[in-house]
Amino acid sequence: MSILSWRRSHGVRAFAAGTAAFALILATGCGSPPGEEPEGEGEAAGLADDPQFVWAVTGADRQIHEDVARLWNENNPDRQVEVFFLAPTADEQRQAMFQDLQSQAGQFDVLGLDVIWTGEFAEFGYIESLEDLRPQIADVSLPGAVDSAQWQQELYALPYSSNGAFLYYRTDLIDEPPTTWDELYETGTEAAEEAGISAYVGQGDQYEGFVVNYLELFWAAGGELFDEGQTQSTFLEGDAAATALDFMTEAYDSGFYAEGFDSMVEDDARALFQAGEAVYMRNWPYAVPLLEGEADEESAVAGDFAVAPLPTFDGEGSTSALGGLNNAVSTLSENKDLAREFVLWAATDAEAQGILAGHSLPPTMVSAYEGAEDPNFEMLGDILADAHARPPVPGYNSLSLVIQDNLHPAYIGQGEAEPALEAVDGAANDALEQE
Amino acid sequence: MATATRDTGTPERGRGAHIRHGLGERAMGRIFLTPSFAFMAVIALFPVFYAVLMSLYRIRGFTREFVGIDNYLQALSDPGFYNAALNTLVFTVASVSLEFVIGLGFALIMHQAFVGRGLTRAVILVPWVIPTAVAAQVWRYMFDHNPGFVNAVLGADINWLRDPAWSMAGIIAADVWKTAPFVALLLLAGLQTIPRDYYEAAKVDGAGVLQRFWSITLPLLRPAIVVALLFRTVDALRMFDFAYVFAGYSNSLATLSVYAQRFLVAEPQLGYANALSTVTFVIVMLVGLAFISRMGRHMVGETAREVKR
Repeated sequence: MSILSWRRSHGVRAFAAGTAAFALILATGCGSPPGEEPEGEGEAAGLADDPQFVWAVTGADRQIHEDVARLWNENNPDRQVEVFFLAPTADEQRQAMFQDLQSQAGQFDVLGLDVIWTGEFAEFGYIESLEDLRPQIADVSLPGAVDSAQWQQELYALPYSSNGAFLYYRTDLIDEPPTTWDELYETGTEAAEEAGISAYVGQGDQYEGFVVNYLELFWAAGGELFDEGQTQSTFLEGDAAATALDFMTEAYDSGFYAEGFDSMVEDDARALFQAGEAVYMRNWPYAVPLLEGEADEESAVAGDFAVAPLPTFDGEGSTSALGGLNNAVSTLSENKDLAREFVLWAATDAEAQGILAGHSLPPTMVSAYEGAEDPNFEMLGDILADAHARPPVPGYNSLSLVIQDNLHPAYIGQGEAEPALEAVDGAANDALEQE
Repeated sequence: MATATRDTGTPERGRGAHIRHGLGERAMGRIFLTPSFAFMAVIALFPVFYAVLMSLYRIRGFTREFVGIDNYLQALSDPGFYNAALNTLVFTVASVSLEFVIGLGFALIMHQAFVGRGLTRAVILVPWVIPTAVAAQVWRYMFDHNPGFVNAVLGADINWLRDPAWSMAGIIAADVWKTAPFVALLLLAGLQTIPRDYYEAAKVDGAGVLQRFWSITLPLLRPAIVVALLFRTVDALRMFDFAYVFAGYSNSLATLSVYAQRFLVAEPQLGYANALSTVTFVIVMLVGLAFISRMGRHMVGETAREVKR
């Protein structure tokens, strides 16, 4: 059809095309990259007739957040909350909240922040200090979750949901889960060879998941990114940074990491493990029901796998990065008292936190894990108790991008290890104070 | 497009034929055009100027500080920016040349009369109809080690996604697949404007196939070629989807658009992001204007002659 119309107008075609080309050039001049104008994604859930305040939260796990809000509304009929669901991806959520704050719209009262954004939002003056609420969550919430909600020893958000890593292993190939990374490497390589499959799958693509996988090795080797007071980088102190990178480099070279590990994200790893193609997998708890073959899911490993904590290098303890959400109060909110009350309630109300647990979204209340019927869930509680928060410094995102840009090429043999680690150390210092 | 041209074309032809009463036809034309121009100004020009204005500030949270051209100086001393510019240049030169050669081949095939010509034309156009973001996801999946489709077809063991050189080759291949049909479409339209008599005359004079191609097809196709190259170059300079889907913000593939997006979203420095966008805009505009002024005049002249005829 378009060919026909082109033919009809061919007499004047050239000039018309020239005009259109110029219009096209004009159209490229938008503030953000052309053709990628961010859409105002998101929608209100419509839970309240007369909402007094708005909670902006990720559109992933919608049902859970909706149920939590419903519970609040039942208990507080005069002070109902409306939920505004943001896009499910972290980048888009952050952008939507930035837009609301930067443009002074102030539509959101409570912000559901990813655990790594606390410092950035605090430094930008976007969120209120909640330091005076610390006593009320001190022994209630997971210590790692509290760490992730503070910047410069000041509390800016309260924990809401959490997440931690499991080491999935094949019970038909491995008798006992390993307690050190070296043991994991050896048993994995051996079992993989015998079974003719890959030894290990995880998150090796160049993205935040890779940073998490690397930091877990780094922490397992005894490293810390910053000193106690978060005043300077301690990334290169000791040899944890090099140990972790060396492990990854060797695992990649020797084929311990499965083919394509360097472009693998959570679900790629899950799909391979589920098809029976790997001995070990590092992944979040969401994979358990899928691997069990629940809800018509096809699984080659149903009944043949178990989970354990990720090991360390010296066999002491376990290690996991901490995921999840913290709730903060926007500085633009006109209902700050109410918003604060809601944030505290969501962190400390057993029933609200129970809703998360009931939907297998890890809660942050320590008591929610006690006496759990599901042994995996109880183990998750133990893992989270020891878990490390990625330090929510203001420049965390820049630091993460530098880690991705330097360490990813290094472990797949595209770059030198030394300068890569030094670049990360420099970026860690920069991240404490952006500019 | 065609309508816009007819508007400018009519007064030329109809000047003598109409009796002037009240406002002249030109004046009336201008009045009718005013709303469109106002609309354009609000939609297209305002964001441009606003972006340029914002690029003069350093913006952090609620604080905004005027820093003049500091953001531009920062860009000039930022290795990431040069890396993005180089990536964009490599991508543009490689993809546009390949698209032109392959597109011209397609166009020549589609121009022949043969059974199933309509179907062939439709099939060739399919890739162009698929949204770029979707095409990028599909290609990424095919290049990925798991399931390793491309490697299986080629019988190779190449790290298409994470080896910098191969991944650049990958996005160029994907872009060529997607937009060569578009080039073919533009060139086909051009081919159809070339009168058959020329070829017949050349044949009578004893010109061979190649000679006819060099001396008739190429020169007469020149306006269409210019338009096709202009479109593709301008588009390739702004390329975002393939690079972002294949490698995120990774420096290995980041183009100027991806790099600007990085400072807009991932590392929010709005002033710097706007400076980068403005630089991209200026580069794209200069290249576009160079095309239009170099070969555009020739094109416009050609059109005027055609109109007189």
